[in-house]
Amino acid sequence: MTDAARDAIISLRDVDKFYGDYHALRDVSLDIAEGEFFSLLGPSGCGKTTLLRTIAGFEEASDGTLMLAGKNMKGVPANRRPTNMVFQSYAIFPHLDVAQNVAFGLRKRRDLDAAAKARQVEEALAMVGLGGFERRAAHALSGGQRQRVALARALILRPKVLLLDEPLSALDKKMREQMQGELRRLQRQVGITFILVTHDQEEALIMSDRIAVMFEGEIAQVADPQTLYRRPKTKKVADFIGVMNFLPAEARIEGASIKVEIAGLGHATLDAGQCPGGAVSGPAQVGIRPELMTLAFEGEQHPAVVEGQVAEQYYYGDMTYYDVRLEGVPEPVTLSMKNIVGRPVLERGAMARVAWDPRALVLFSE
Amino acid sequence: MSLRTYAVAYLIFLYLPIFLLPLFAFNDSTIIAFPLDGFTFRWFGELWTTPALHDAVQNSVFIALVTAVFSTILGICAARAGAKYDFPLKRSILGLIMVPLVLPEIIVGVSLLVVVVQLFDWSLSTWTVIAAHVLICTPFSIAILNGAFQNIDTSLEEAALDLGETPVSTFRLVTLPLVMPGIISSLLISFTISLDEFIIAFFLTGAEPTMPVYIWGLLRFPQQLPAVMALGTILVVLSIVLLVIAEYFRRKGLARAGLKDKGGFL
Repeated sequence: MTDAARDAIISLRDVDKFYGDYHALRDVSLDIAEGEFFSLLGPSGCGKTTLLRTIAGFEEASDGTLMLAGKNMKGVPANRRPTNMVFQSYAIFPHLDVAQNVAFGLRKRRDLDAAAKARQVEEALAMVGLGGFERRAAHALSGGQRQRVALARALILRPKVLLLDEPLSALDKKMREQMQGELRRLQRQVGITFILVTHDQEEALIMSDRIAVMFEGEIAQVADPQTLYRRPKTKKVADFIGVMNFLPAEARIEGASIKVEIAGLGHATLDAGQCPGGAVSGPAQVGIRPELMTLAFEGEQHPAVVEGQVAEQYYYGDMTYYDVRLEGVPEPVTLSMKNIVGRPVLERGAMARVAWDPRALVLFSE
Repeated sequence: MSLRTYAVAYLIFLYLPIFLLPLFAFNDSTIIAFPLDGFTFRWFGELWTTPALHDAVQNSVFIALVTAVFSTILGICAARAGAKYDFPLKRSILGLIMVPLVLPEIIVGVSLLVVVVQLFDWSLSTWTVIAAHVLICTPFSIAILNGAFQNIDTSLEEAALDLGETPVSTFRLVTLPLVMPGIISSLLISFTISLDEFIIAFFLTGAEPTMPVYIWGLLRFPQQLPAVMALGTILVVLSIVLLVIAEYFRRKGLARAGLKDKGGFL
């Protein structure tokens, strides 16, 4: 048993879920550690919400085992699982006020008297920044406030795991960014395991300790944000997380290193870490992120430079994005430059020298 | 312009006869004709002192109450099942339940009479009327309650389960309060329909007539006509009040669920 499996608050083994003929989850195996902020990331229909609902107990796995806090959850209904959920629509009870919503889960707690419950509600609301909102009607709340009520209502029960189903998708951009920071802070403060479902890769990168990327019911990669961004296992993962340029290449394994001949860039020698999906000799694709290539200007030193021409230029103010056409590459490569003092912005059609670093490359075997 | 003329003509056509009711109910003459003779409460007083009428009203109110309760309970079951579960032939089954809504009542009345008297050899009574009224009121209850149940966001019920409630307590604490306006609306509408239903009651009523059947009986005596007008006036006012209350609760239910209005009876 690995360390991760031993400390895991949630442990899934070969979990499958079928809806009729539709295979919604395929052999999902996953360990999530206690106190972790874990995200399930993927495009819509990838099974991330189904997986979350299976953990919550709203769906029963067709096959495989789900262990929660050391107990097999087979046949255990949602109301007897140590999890609580923040729903995408927040699911604030419209016929109850804020305090009644937050206190809903305490109803069954016979050990607490009314005063103790009121105190806990007050604390929970203060924790999410809604102190004094106790008597507010549910319909008189804004989207962000509903979100906070839903959080307080779930956290007041001190669940082992808090499940969040796209909790920020209904908020406007500014509110969303603010809540991302607050959720992160809240999670550190309470120390409860958070599992977040999102289709927003940026949100997952900002908030998570670890991320599972899912496609078509399968987990493609589980890693921390930096590894996921820098060393994606497959082209599909690389493409989903941020922007990456792919260049056709020919790989040859030589001992511990891999020699590659890359269209448009030339030779490079990579180490095994740059082939997270495993290296095989033969045709391959080499990936490089836009911000890891730069335009080379007079008097600068770079490990490798190739000539190209600016096919398109996008000026963002703080950054400029360029599509640069390289010889021998059908699609132009995208690179980004910070607009620092004294650095010129090249126009469309200008000749450009593209500097790259072999350490920035990732190899995907075909 | 022409649309407005049409609308006004239509409203006159629809409501003029009903406006004649109170007119003659307060008219101090046994003859139902213009010109009017003077103002009186005599006919209302006459109603007050007719024991046969009291029996009929009592009978009708009892039938309407029991009918309202039964058809609403059946409506809750059907609407709940329709909103929450998928089962084979769901659409056809729910469609079939709605058919009595459009069946001619005289057909329903005659066929029920055949079933009750010929097939089962039961005697006609208040309960045979109740059974028939439940049959025609249930589709209305389902129509009202369907809206109420389908407006509930399923994640509200899931949230209650998630917070530790059992399916039964979730129904009591979340589902029921949210559909309560629909339930009240269904009770009031079924009550109103049953109270003034005549054709089926005429076929199935036993020794104790319902109020509409009693009124029909009175029509054979011209001198009783003004009293019938007075009774009709009371019934019209009562029906309107009940329908308005029902609509109020239906809209309150929508507001509670945070939804926009999508039709209704008024």
